[in-house]
Amino acid sequence: MRRMLLLVGATALVASSVVYAHHSYAATYDVSKQVKLEGKLVQFVYRNPHSFVTVQAPDETGAPQRWAVEWAGTTQLGQAGVSRESLIVGDEIVVVARPSRVPGEYRALMVTLKRPSDGFAWGGPGQVVD
Amino acid sequence: MHMDKFNRFAVRLLLFGAAVLVVVVAGAAIVSVPASAQGGPARPQIAPDIAGEWRLENNEADTTAQPPLGDYLGIPFNDAGRQRADTSAESIWGTPEYQCRPHSAPHQWRGLGGARILKEQDPLSRDVRAYHIQFMRSLDRPVFMDGRAHPPAWAPHSWTGFSTGEWVGNTLKITTTHLKDGYLKRGGPQTSDMYTMTEFLTRHGDLLTIITSIDDPIYQDEPYVESTTYAYDVTASVNTETCSGSAFAENGGSDRHHVPHFLPGQNTALGEWLKTQDWIPPAAARGGVKTIYPEYRSVMSGSVNVSALTVPSSRSANDVAKRIADQSPKDGDVHVLPLQGNIYVLIADGTNITVSMGPEGVMLVNTGSAQMSGKVLAAINQLANSTVTPPTPNTCFGPNCPGAWGWASPYMNAVISSPTPPKPVRYIINTSAAADHVGGNEKIATSGFFPRGGNFGGAVESVGRAASIVAHENVLNRMSAPAGKTAPAPAAAQPTDTYFDEFFKLSAYFNGEAVVVYHAPAANTDGDSLVFFRHSEVISAGNVFSTVGYPVIDAEKGGSIQGVIDGLNHILDLAVAEYRSQGGTWIIPSHGRVSDTADVASYRNMVTMMRDRVRDLKKKGMTLEQVKAARPTMDFDGRYGSTTGSWTTDMFVEAIYRTLQEKK
Repeated sequence: MRRMLLLVGATALVASSVVYAHHSYAATYDVSKQVKLEGKLVQFVYRNPHSFVTVQAPDETGAPQRWAVEWAGTTQLGQAGVSRESLIVGDEIVVVARPSRVPGEYRALMVTLKRPSDGFAWGGPGQVVD
Repeated sequence: MHMDKFNRFAVRLLLFGAAVLVVVVAGAAIVSVPASAQGGPARPQIAPDIAGEWRLENNEADTTAQPPLGDYLGIPFNDAGRQRADTSAESIWGTPEYQCRPHSAPHQWRGLGGARILKEQDPLSRDVRAYHIQFMRSLDRPVFMDGRAHPPAWAPHSWTGFSTGEWVGNTLKITTTHLKDGYLKRGGPQTSDMYTMTEFLTRHGDLLTIITSIDDPIYQDEPYVESTTYAYDVTASVNTETCSGSAFAENGGSDRHHVPHFLPGQNTALGEWLKTQDWIPPAAARGGVKTIYPEYRSVMSGSVNVSALTVPSSRSANDVAKRIADQSPKDGDVHVLPLQGNIYVLIADGTNITVSMGPEGVMLVNTGSAQMSGKVLAAINQLANSTVTPPTPNTCFGPNCPGAWGWASPYMNAVISSPTPPKPVRYIINTSAAADHVGGNEKIATSGFFPRGGNFGGAVESVGRAASIVAHENVLNRMSAPAGKTAPAPAAAQPTDTYFDEFFKLSAYFNGEAVVVYHAPAANTDGDSLVFFRHSEVISAGNVFSTVGYPVIDAEKGGSIQGVIDGLNHILDLAVAEYRSQGGTWIIPSHGRVSDTADVASYRNMVTMMRDRVRDLKKKGMTLEQVKAARPTMDFDGRYGSTTGSWTTDMFVEAIYRTLQEKK
């Protein structure tokens, strides 16, 4: 059964350099917490300034929700070998992310992404959303 | 040398005080320029050329980076401003209506993308008619130098506002009004949509100093002043950015109308930054006019209680109450605002009337109060004569010209005849049964004509030749009475064509476009409508939307807080911005200025926040009186609230409390 794990604890801060977009990651996401989302990819928006992965995964009550996970922009992802074709709707993926500061919001900031079926992974050393 | 936290903060306070002093002295020097050098488009004594490419050099507080949540140091917040900032969520930028908003005007000079200043010159005199300032991720911002007046209060607001400039000595003073709501700094501190901004640009060689004063009495006790320096840099460039946002919400979930915000006291992140900055007194970090003056040291030392502290605060020059009232002036007059496509707005003594004017006649959305109907009709006739039937000069001579009938040539007709009379009022649509929506129905409808008889003629005896009046059937129910009883409104004022379900659409185009009337169930009342002009891209929103007050919710007549929110969301679903969350579909409220999607989104957010706050307090078991005493609307009362008149803040809170539905 897919489960969402809420891990509260000491975690490394997200990258120190921040793209000057409208919103700040630190203000939007609680960087001291993590959520683990296991589910099916239902949307992949590969774009600037930030890409978004939407994964259908349960919330803490077990109810399925559409989680919008903010990812890096196309330049950064491209340098890491991630293209628009890297993820396909329907993929079973595992995402670890920082949750939104707003209670009840299904939004998060990407920390790691894995696709168990073929071992595709993002979020290794130096791979952080900045 | 180790400095204790008191001294370190005192040094920072003194530095800030010194900066303020410099700004004040500079401002004083500017305003002490002889009167002969002031006003209008006067030429400077030495004309500095400020055009060119500029690169951000520095600013006194390094606010290019986003300050941490809860850092209000140096901001002269009042209580409302502080609560507005505390309850704002950065996630709001993920909602569809926010993704493409540019940086707010106070932040533009402080972004990293540089600034480009262009000159627009008169081709003959070569006087500068306007400067155009461009920033990264911004819209072109004209600064008019030709002495033109600022628009009336009922004109729309924009991200860059309306700016005029004048030279004061060698300093360019820019005054900006008509700005949308935004943020003072990123990450929390907000502005209302009623602030004004004054900038002083002074060039010193290759440096350009910009002093900005943001005057927002809704959220500040005095203007917020900051300075920025730019360096001339021919290699600098301002990147354009076409926003690639979309209608998909970045906030997850399945509710596209989700409004992220914190309930008062819920935002626990506000003090996080002070854990590593423990030398900053938490009370000072909350901002406030007293904290930004050197006299505050006496509070920190404990010798004076903050409530007893007085500071030489400067005063706001922004009469917000008047400027809000002027959006719907009750001056006994009718003002005309040409809007878009077929649509004009009549601002008629406190109520807006939407007018579709075209070759097929006139359609009105609402008719204003009864006492204004004479002036409204006069304005419509004047508008029709000047727009639909302008004089047509003769361009053809002789009997073979197109359109020649009989023996007379068009030339003769053009000379001896008068213009074709304008078509009459054909339709009136009432968005509710409110007195200022239906008051002019009788007089204006009977002045018009709607062909009801088909092949049997143009008139039906029972309704004469009057215009058709369209409304939801609950409007008719309130204006009529069963046989034998006295109706609240005369028969000639009552709707002639009603609908009862989700919408009513005209069976054919009118003035070349489709017109659809949508029901807004259980909103202000049980009979509210939104009217969408599909080609002109205009929505007449009735009472569902307002820019001058909280929504009026008449629970006795079937209104509810959720119905109002649903109505506002329906507007947002129909409307599309032209570019960067601005313009595009115009929304005309019954009361207040003409608006766009961004304005409606901000109002929707406010109403949603008020619903959530009252619901939270109610869930905690509070009585209505306790909820009122908790002042859940406090941060918006300066903008929309009232303690007098027919719709007070207390009545609004009570309406929310009584019509709340449990969250599904």
